[in-house]
Amino acid sequence: MASIISVVPSAARDDTWSRLLERVGQQRDESAFAQLFAHFAPLIKGFCLGNVNSSFPADAADEIVQEVLFKVWQKAPSYDATKAAASTWIYTVMRNCRIDVMRRNRRTISDSGVIEIEDIWDEAADDQAYIYLQQASNETLIQNALLQLPAEQRLVLSQVYMQGKTHQQISAETGLPLGTVKSRVRIGLKKMQLLMDVGNKRSEKVVGEGQ
Amino acid sequence: MINHHPDENLLAEYASGSLAWALSLSVCAHVQLCPHCRQKVSNLNKIGGAMLNTSVAETCAPNSFENLMRRIHEKSSVEKVSEVAATSELHISYRHDPLLNKLPKVVEKLLPANGKLKWQKVSSKLKTARLTAGQNEYEVAFQCISSGGKVVEHDHRGLEITLVLKGSFSDEQGVYSEGDFLVRNPGEIHRPTATLNADCLCLSVVAAPVSVTGLLGHFINPFLSIKPA
Repeated sequence: MASIISVVPSAARDDTWSRLLERVGQQRDESAFAQLFAHFAPLIKGFCLGNVNSSFPADAADEIVQEVLFKVWQKAPSYDATKAAASTWIYTVMRNCRIDVMRRNRRTISDSGVIEIEDIWDEAADDQAYIYLQQASNETLIQNALLQLPAEQRLVLSQVYMQGKTHQQISAETGLPLGTVKSRVRIGLKKMQLLMDVGNKRSEKVVGEGQ
Repeated sequence: MINHHPDENLLAEYASGSLAWALSLSVCAHVQLCPHCRQKVSNLNKIGGAMLNTSVAETCAPNSFENLMRRIHEKSSVEKVSEVAATSELHISYRHDPLLNKLPKVVEKLLPANGKLKWQKVSSKLKTARLTAGQNEYEVAFQCISSGGKVVEHDHRGLEITLVLKGSFSDEQGVYSEGDFLVRNPGEIHRPTATLNADCLCLSVVAAPVSVTGLLGHFINPFLSIKPA
């Protein structure tokens, strides 16, 4: 398996991963899935461990990795590369797995419910079509934006996303007032948003000129 | 035109999956009505994707991939991989009800499959129907104010989210129409009035019982006591 990682040059990864995921969905291609696994499984595990002072046990993280990639295999036929990049789509699958786990642990379910996770958090909800070129530049841009954020904003966003905490929980755990948590999240998102908007316009221009 | 949206914080909690089930449901219903917020959620998901891409890779347990493939093969030999669930058609009684047709997808899911939505009359101008949402933290319900009808002035002991689904209503602070998403915090008092031309249907998600202020409240409160479903 180790050799698989080196097959894919990381510079081209956005398009590569999305196309691999499409092959998994449409052709049930196990070797494409093996490549996705080799790349994403360690990232999913890293994400679950949360980067910051996480007390999350590693074996639990391994179980989640299995669960997420199992779902990725199952749901891949509904993946549409023109709508979302592989990493974003896998993120939504992972998030939904976590919602499912937390929901069961909290026992807030009443049996009579007919609503399912996918009804509320639809992985395919994004109705905008992106072309590969735009998507790839978007992805790179967002990642760069994320890495450029000031430390405290980046930290709070990782608490929101990676640890899956509500603002209230973050406030209780860090001792920061709720208002401070909220404004850090807002400022962080706003900065990301600005960078994304710039990127969207730029890539639209590129696409327009290319035609 | 939608003027009231969930704020960035609520959308971020929704997109990261930490927001409570019933609140997420109301955000989702708004997002299905609002292209503006759909775009925002799509961007928030992309940030999630970027978080994943930039997280520190951790070596997985040995044989993880082989174990997973074994599970996948076992599963597919026992049962066919679940196809996308057939979209169940909306019950005919809802399709012909101007109040209940063309609702956001997630809200349609809340309608009882047998076509029998149970309305309870709260006052001559207000009726309510409790909805089963598969959780017990919040009360999820339809509130319907008849055209021109006023609702008894009430305040909230807990968070209340109101999403206008049909028609419009106003209170002391403004006019709200289809797709508007309102958050009322504990202690805020208001008295909604439906506009004259049409009935107003709202989805409401309430954390704690609504207390009715004023004399009438004495009679009405029992109807509003929380009953999670």
